Amino acid sequence: MNHLKLKLTAFLIIISFLFTSCSSTKTALYDQYSYQKTTEIKVEAEKLMSEATSPYVLHQKEVTMLLLEIEKLVEYEKNKPNNEITFAMWKMLTDKEKNLLAAFFKRWETKETLSPAFLEESKKQVLDAFDLLIQYEIKKDKKSKDALLDLINQ
Amino acid sequence: MDNDKLLKELQSKLKTLITENYEEIKPQLEKDLNTFLEKSKIKLERWLFLFSSGDLTEEELEWLLKSQLDLVSLQGLQTAGISKIKLNTIKNNIIKIILNVIIGLIIPTR
Repeated sequence: MNHLKLKLTAFLIIISFLFTSCSSTKTALYDQYSYQKTTEIKVEAEKLMSEATSPYVLHQKEVTMLLLEIEKLVEYEKNKPNNEITFAMWKMLTDKEKNLLAAFFKRWETKETLSPAFLEESKKQVLDAFDLLIQYEIKKDKKSKDALLDLINQ
Repeated sequence: MDNDKLLKELQSKLKTLITENYEEIKPQLEKDLNTFLEKSKIKLERWLFLFSSGDLTEEELEWLLKSQLDLVSLQGLQTAGISKIKLNTIKNNIIKIILNVIIGLIIPTR
Protein backbone atom coordinates (compact mmCIF):
# COMPACT_ATOMS: atom_id res chain seq x y z
CA MET A 1 0.00 0.00 0.00
CA ASN A 2 2.81 2.39 0.99
CA HIS A 3 4.63 1.44 -2.19
CA LEU A 4 1.54 2.37 -4.21
CA LYS A 5 1.25 5.73 -2.42
CA LEU A 6 4.89 6.45 -3.14
CA LYS A 7 4.40 5.67 -6.83
CA LEU A 8 1.31 7.90 -6.96
CA THR A 9 3.18 10.78 -5.30
CA ALA A 10 6.09 10.41 -7.74
CA PHE A 11 3.64 10.42 -10.65
CA LEU A 12 1.94 13.59 -9.37
CA ILE A 13 5.30 15.32 -8.92
CA ILE A 14 6.30 14.47 -12.50
CA ILE A 15 2.98 15.75 -13.86
CA SER A 16 3.27 19.02 -11.92
CA PHE A 17 6.88 19.44 -13.13
CA LEU A 18 5.68 18.84 -16.67
CA PHE A 19 3.03 21.56 -16.40
CA THR A 20 5.50 24.02 -14.86
CA SER A 21 8.04 23.21 -17.53
CA CYS A 22 5.54 23.68 -20.36
CA SER A 23 4.37 27.07 -19.12
CA SER A 24 7.86 28.36 -18.34
CA THR A 25 9.15 27.71 -21.90
CA LYS A 26 6.33 29.93 -23.18
CA THR A 27 6.02 27.93 -26.37
CA ALA A 28 2.85 26.18 -27.40
CA LEU A 29 2.99 22.41 -27.62
CA TYR A 30 3.22 20.62 -30.95
CA ASP A 31 -0.17 20.50 -32.64
CA GLN A 32 -0.90 17.81 -35.23
CA TYR A 33 -3.82 19.81 -36.63
CA SER A 34 -1.64 22.91 -37.21
CA TYR A 35 1.06 20.81 -38.84
CA GLN A 36 -1.36 19.01 -41.14
CA LYS A 37 -3.33 22.14 -42.11
CA THR A 38 -0.18 24.17 -42.79
CA THR A 39 1.19 21.39 -45.01
CA GLU A 40 -2.10 21.14 -46.92
CA ILE A 41 -2.26 24.91 -47.39
CA LYS A 42 1.34 24.96 -48.63
CA VAL A 43 0.55 22.36 -51.31
CA GLU A 44 -2.61 24.21 -52.39
CA ALA A 45 -0.78 27.55 -52.46
CA GLU A 46 2.02 26.10 -54.59
CA LYS A 47 -0.47 24.70 -57.07
CA LEU A 48 -2.33 27.99 -57.30
CA MET A 49 0.77 30.19 -57.53
CA SER A 50 2.01 28.06 -60.45
CA GLU A 51 -0.98 29.33 -62.45
CA ALA A 52 0.08 32.97 -62.16
CA THR A 53 1.28 33.26 -65.77
CA SER A 54 -2.42 33.03 -66.73
CA PRO A 55 -4.95 35.81 -65.95
CA TYR A 56 -5.84 36.30 -62.27
CA VAL A 57 -9.59 36.50 -62.98
CA LEU A 58 -9.58 32.84 -64.03
CA HIS A 59 -8.36 31.85 -60.54
CA GLN A 60 -9.94 34.53 -58.37
CA LYS A 61 -12.42 32.11 -56.80
CA GLU A 62 -9.68 29.62 -55.84
CA VAL A 63 -7.54 32.40 -54.36
CA THR A 64 -10.49 33.65 -52.26
CA MET A 65 -11.17 30.11 -51.02
CA LEU A 66 -7.53 29.53 -50.10
CA LEU A 67 -7.31 32.83 -48.25
CA LEU A 68 -10.46 31.90 -46.32
CA GLU A 69 -8.91 28.56 -45.33
CA ILE A 70 -5.83 30.42 -44.13
CA GLU A 71 -7.93 32.96 -42.21
CA LYS A 72 -9.60 30.14 -40.28
CA LEU A 73 -6.24 28.59 -39.38
CA VAL A 74 -4.77 31.97 -38.35
CA GLU A 75 -7.76 32.49 -36.04
CA TYR A 76 -7.12 29.04 -34.54
CA GLU A 77 -3.41 29.84 -34.04
CA LYS A 78 -4.23 33.23 -32.51
CA ASN A 79 -6.21 31.72 -29.69
CA LYS A 80 -3.73 29.02 -28.68
CA PRO A 81 -1.82 29.90 -25.49
CA ASN A 82 1.89 30.77 -25.82
CA ASN A 83 1.65 30.67 -29.57
CA GLU A 84 2.69 34.27 -30.36
CA ILE A 85 5.55 33.31 -32.67
CA THR A 86 3.50 31.05 -34.95
CA PHE A 87 0.75 33.67 -35.02
CA ALA A 88 3.27 36.42 -35.90
CA MET A 89 4.70 34.24 -38.68
CA TRP A 90 1.25 33.71 -40.17
CA LYS A 91 0.54 37.45 -39.91
CA MET A 92 3.64 38.12 -42.03
CA LEU A 93 2.67 35.54 -44.60
CA THR A 94 -0.85 36.95 -44.94
CA ASP A 95 0.04 40.65 -44.79
CA LYS A 96 -0.58 42.26 -48.20
CA GLU A 97 1.94 44.97 -47.34
CA LYS A 98 4.76 42.44 -46.79
CA ASN A 99 6.19 40.44 -49.65
CA LEU A 100 5.03 36.88 -49.12
CA LEU A 101 1.83 34.93 -49.90
CA ALA A 102 -0.91 37.59 -49.66
CA ALA A 103 1.33 40.09 -51.42
CA PHE A 104 1.95 37.58 -54.20
CA PHE A 105 -1.80 37.27 -54.82
CA LYS A 106 -2.21 41.05 -54.59
CA ARG A 107 0.51 41.53 -57.20
CA TRP A 108 -1.01 38.86 -59.46
CA GLU A 109 -4.38 40.62 -59.23
CA THR A 110 -2.85 44.04 -59.96
CA LYS A 111 -0.65 42.88 -62.84
CA GLU A 112 -3.18 40.36 -64.18
CA THR A 113 -0.38 37.91 -65.07
CA LEU A 114 3.16 37.48 -63.75
CA SER A 115 6.34 36.86 -65.74
CA PRO A 116 7.69 33.26 -65.66
CA ALA A 117 11.01 34.27 -64.06
CA PHE A 118 9.34 36.34 -61.36
CA LEU A 119 6.76 33.62 -60.74
CA GLU A 120 9.41 30.97 -60.18
CA GLU A 121 11.52 33.14 -57.88
CA SER A 122 8.65 34.59 -55.82
CA LYS A 123 7.01 31.17 -55.49
CA LYS A 124 10.23 29.82 -53.98
CA GLN A 125 10.21 32.68 -51.48
CA VAL A 126 6.64 31.97 -50.37
CA LEU A 127 7.30 28.22 -50.12
CA ASP A 128 10.42 28.89 -48.03
CA ALA A 129 8.19 30.85 -45.64
CA PHE A 130 5.77 27.90 -45.41
CA ASP A 131 8.70 25.57 -44.72
CA LEU A 132 9.81 27.79 -41.85
CA LEU A 133 6.31 27.57 -40.35
CA ILE A 134 6.18 23.79 -40.75
CA GLN A 135 9.68 23.29 -39.34
CA TYR A 136 8.84 25.51 -36.39
CA GLU A 137 5.79 23.36 -35.61
CA ILE A 138 7.96 20.21 -35.76
CA LYS A 139 10.49 21.85 -33.42
CA LYS A 140 7.71 22.27 -30.87
CA ASP A 141 7.34 18.48 -30.89
CA LYS A 142 11.06 18.08 -30.24
CA LYS A 143 10.89 20.67 -27.44
CA SER A 144 7.99 18.80 -25.81
CA LYS A 145 9.87 15.51 -26.07
CA ASP A 146 13.10 17.05 -24.72
CA ALA A 147 11.22 18.54 -21.76
CA LEU A 148 9.73 15.13 -21.01
CA LEU A 149 13.09 13.38 -21.35
CA ASP A 150 14.70 15.95 -19.03
CA LEU A 151 12.08 15.16 -16.42
CA ILE A 152 12.46 11.42 -16.79
CA ASN A 153 16.26 11.66 -16.52
CA GLN A 154 16.23 14.00 -13.52
CA MET B 1 30.59 41.36 -64.84
CA ASP B 2 30.71 38.08 -62.91
CA ASN B 3 28.46 37.62 -59.90
CA ASP B 4 31.25 37.12 -57.36
CA LYS B 5 32.81 40.41 -58.33
CA LEU B 6 29.41 42.07 -58.29
CA LEU B 7 28.62 40.80 -54.80
CA LYS B 8 32.00 41.94 -53.50
CA GLU B 9 31.45 45.35 -55.00
CA LEU B 10 27.96 45.42 -53.52
CA GLN B 11 29.38 44.69 -50.06
CA SER B 12 32.09 47.32 -50.36
CA LYS B 13 29.69 49.99 -51.65
CA LEU B 14 27.24 49.18 -48.87
CA LYS B 15 29.98 49.58 -46.28
CA THR B 16 30.92 53.00 -47.65
CA LEU B 17 27.28 54.09 -47.79
CA ILE B 18 26.65 53.02 -44.20
CA THR B 19 29.73 54.86 -42.96
CA GLU B 20 28.75 58.02 -44.83
CA ASN B 21 25.01 58.09 -44.13
CA TYR B 22 24.12 55.96 -41.15
CA GLU B 23 26.96 56.59 -38.72
CA GLU B 24 24.63 56.72 -35.69
CA ILE B 25 23.24 53.22 -36.32
CA LYS B 26 26.30 51.84 -38.14
CA PRO B 27 27.06 48.81 -35.91
CA GLN B 28 23.46 47.55 -35.94
CA LEU B 29 22.90 48.27 -39.63
CA GLU B 30 26.20 46.67 -40.60
CA LYS B 31 25.37 43.57 -38.57
CA ASP B 32 21.86 43.31 -40.09
CA LEU B 33 23.16 43.81 -43.60
CA ASN B 34 25.86 41.18 -43.18
CA THR B 35 23.29 38.70 -41.83
CA PHE B 36 21.04 39.47 -44.77
CA LEU B 37 23.78 39.13 -47.40
CA GLU B 38 25.17 35.98 -45.82
CA LYS B 39 21.77 34.24 -45.71
CA SER B 40 20.80 35.43 -49.17
CA LYS B 41 24.00 34.94 -51.17
CA ILE B 42 22.82 32.18 -53.52
CA LYS B 43 19.48 33.83 -54.21
CA LEU B 44 21.09 37.23 -54.73
CA GLU B 45 23.48 35.73 -57.28
CA ARG B 46 20.57 34.19 -59.18
CA TRP B 47 18.47 37.37 -59.07
CA LEU B 48 21.40 39.51 -60.16
CA PHE B 49 21.87 37.23 -63.16
CA LEU B 50 18.13 37.34 -64.03
CA PHE B 51 18.07 41.12 -63.60
CA SER B 52 21.19 41.69 -65.69
CA SER B 53 19.79 39.46 -68.46
CA GLY B 54 16.50 41.39 -68.44
CA ASP B 55 14.33 38.49 -67.18
CA LEU B 56 13.46 40.41 -64.00
CA THR B 57 12.43 44.06 -63.94
CA GLU B 58 13.69 46.52 -61.34
CA GLU B 59 10.30 46.39 -59.62
CA GLU B 60 10.33 42.59 -59.54
CA LEU B 61 13.85 42.57 -58.12
CA GLU B 62 12.74 44.98 -55.40
CA TRP B 63 9.79 42.71 -54.55
CA LEU B 64 12.11 39.71 -54.25
CA LEU B 65 14.62 41.57 -52.11
CA LYS B 66 11.83 42.62 -49.76
CA SER B 67 10.50 39.07 -49.61
CA GLN B 68 13.99 37.86 -48.71
CA LEU B 69 14.14 40.35 -45.89
CA ASP B 70 10.74 39.07 -44.72
CA LEU B 71 12.12 35.53 -44.73
CA VAL B 72 15.16 36.57 -42.69
CA SER B 73 12.75 38.27 -40.26
CA LEU B 74 10.69 35.04 -40.06
CA GLN B 75 13.82 33.08 -39.19
CA GLY B 76 14.70 35.73 -36.64
CA LEU B 77 11.29 35.40 -35.04
CA GLN B 78 11.98 31.75 -34.31
CA THR B 79 15.44 32.25 -32.89
CA ALA B 80 15.25 35.64 -31.20
CA GLY B 81 11.55 35.97 -30.37
CA ILE B 82 9.13 38.77 -31.16
CA SER B 83 10.52 41.55 -28.97
CA LYS B 84 14.07 41.19 -30.24
CA ILE B 85 13.41 41.63 -33.95
CA LYS B 86 15.04 44.84 -35.07
CA LEU B 87 15.74 43.98 -38.69
CA ASN B 88 12.30 44.98 -39.84
CA THR B 89 12.53 48.47 -38.43
CA ILE B 90 15.26 49.38 -40.87
CA LYS B 91 13.92 47.23 -43.70
CA ASN B 92 13.28 50.10 -46.08
CA ASN B 93 16.72 51.57 -45.55
CA ILE B 94 18.38 48.23 -46.28
CA ILE B 95 16.35 47.58 -49.42
CA LYS B 96 16.89 51.09 -50.72
CA ILE B 97 20.65 50.82 -50.25
CA ILE B 98 20.92 47.37 -51.86
CA LEU B 99 18.66 48.24 -54.77
CA ASN B 100 20.44 51.50 -55.54
CA VAL B 101 23.81 49.79 -55.47
CA ILE B 102 22.64 46.90 -57.69
CA ILE B 103 21.00 49.22 -60.20
CA GLY B 104 24.06 51.46 -60.24
CA LEU B 105 26.30 48.48 -60.89
CA ILE B 106 24.18 46.56 -63.39
CA ILE B 107 22.34 49.10 -65.54
CA PRO B 108 25.51 50.60 -67.05
CA THR B 109 26.76 47.12 -68.06
CA ARG B 110 23.48 46.05 -69.75
